[in-house]
Amino acid sequence: MINLRNIFKSLALSLVMLCFVTGNAQIDSLNKAQQLLQTKNIEQAKSLIESVILHSDTKGDFIAWTTRAYIYFDIYKRTDKLKLNSPLRDTIISSIKTSISLNPDETFKSNNTKLLTNLSAGYFNMAKVLLMDSLNYKRSVIAYNKYKETSLLIDSKTIFKAKDIEFYLAAGSLYSDIFNKDNNNTEAQETAKITLLKVLDFQPDNISANVNLGIMYYNQAVNLGKSLDFGADFSQIDLVQDNIIKLAKQSEYFVARVYNLDNKNLKAVEALHSIYKMLNEKTKEDEFKVKCKELNIKLD
Amino acid sequence: MFCLISLRFQQPNNYDTNSKIKAVFLYNFTRYFEWSDNKKVGNFIIYVVGKNENLITELKTLASKKKVGNQDIEIKNSFNFDPSISAQIIYLLSDVSKSIPEVTSKSRGKGTLIVAETHNACKTGSSINFVVIENKLRFEYNKSNAVKAGLKTNDDFKALAINIE
Repeated sequence: MINLRNIFKSLALSLVMLCFVTGNAQIDSLNKAQQLLQTKNIEQAKSLIESVILHSDTKGDFIAWTTRAYIYFDIYKRTDKLKLNSPLRDTIISSIKTSISLNPDETFKSNNTKLLTNLSAGYFNMAKVLLMDSLNYKRSVIAYNKYKETSLLIDSKTIFKAKDIEFYLAAGSLYSDIFNKDNNNTEAQETAKITLLKVLDFQPDNISANVNLGIMYYNQAVNLGKSLDFGADFSQIDLVQDNIIKLAKQSEYFVARVYNLDNKNLKAVEALHSIYKMLNEKTKEDEFKVKCKELNIKLD
Repeated sequence: MFCLISLRFQQPNNYDTNSKIKAVFLYNFTRYFEWSDNKKVGNFIIYVVGKNENLITELKTLASKKKVGNQDIEIKNSFNFDPSISAQIIYLLSDVSKSIPEVTSKSRGKGTLIVAETHNACKTGSSINFVVIENKLRFEYNKSNAVKAGLKTNDDFKALAINIE
């Protein structure tokens, strides 16, 4: 009986020792992974940290998760920085999210923020490049939304109104420019309309969005007139005129908003002269002709 | 970062849609009238009196693309009415509206269609007059003026117009 009790005692002690040793072993592994990261042995660091975050002793340690994020970041910055979809970036973000959920101390909070700031800036740059260089609005808007999601992890109270206006206005101006150069590009036209209307959702009095949207509708009406065949019969003329009038009135709605805010806005005054001419509103056309002259706007 | 591009304003296209629509209307008129034999030889002349560069440009484009029957279309333009120009259509612009009675009396019986764009032009001698109704360009038609000018048309045309007697 005494012997049996001693065996149990020894076994229990061994188990405690074993747990202590393996726990320490995991902490050692975490330290080792950090050293490997510092010495740029990234592949080894990566395989080691994967075992650390799975182990029950260390999976609840924010240091392990932030370390994992930094290890993956090291690989990411060399290979995936310019990729919109990057599993490495996703791993970094999910690791930081876990670290945040484990209430890190100030040092690790700051380390997490540094990484997130870098990633959100990367997404913002990508949104810009995809929009302005690659003319790929769809991918650009994905990058932009990712930028916002990442920024919210840094500060959940971030307000994006100004950035949203900046982004959608840039997209709207760019695509209305493309449409005005190539009136058959209806995809550009649609993108311009959607993005400029988004700007007006945020800021109904935005001068640039109102003017560009108004001029786009006006130019669309011009295109209808241009494309009217000389051989068109009276019913076709009637239909085209109806559509031109609709578009010109839509155009007037946006441009007049700007004029009502600033009656010396050169673009608004010039555009309203053209719109009233198109609408056969002679009195208003003449009124804006005088205003154009007063503001030194040259009319063709 | 995006602000440079967002400051760019679009430019309204200075194309004159109303001139294009008037040109298309004028070409339609050529189909609805029965032209006398002496008007079926040589070029089909559309004579514009007054100043409207956009309209002249459109009509010249029309002339380069279309014919009236077998006749080529020719566009003539002067700021004042020149009675020596024999035309199938005389289009009197608003700046020469005062000359409508003179032009119609000199063109009487010659098979020339007089088109104008001035208030009450169909009451002062013009056969056709462009008017604007709810922003839309339409046309008035005075059949008795057309008959006096030596022109024939059918009831289909009358049905399309705002009739002035």
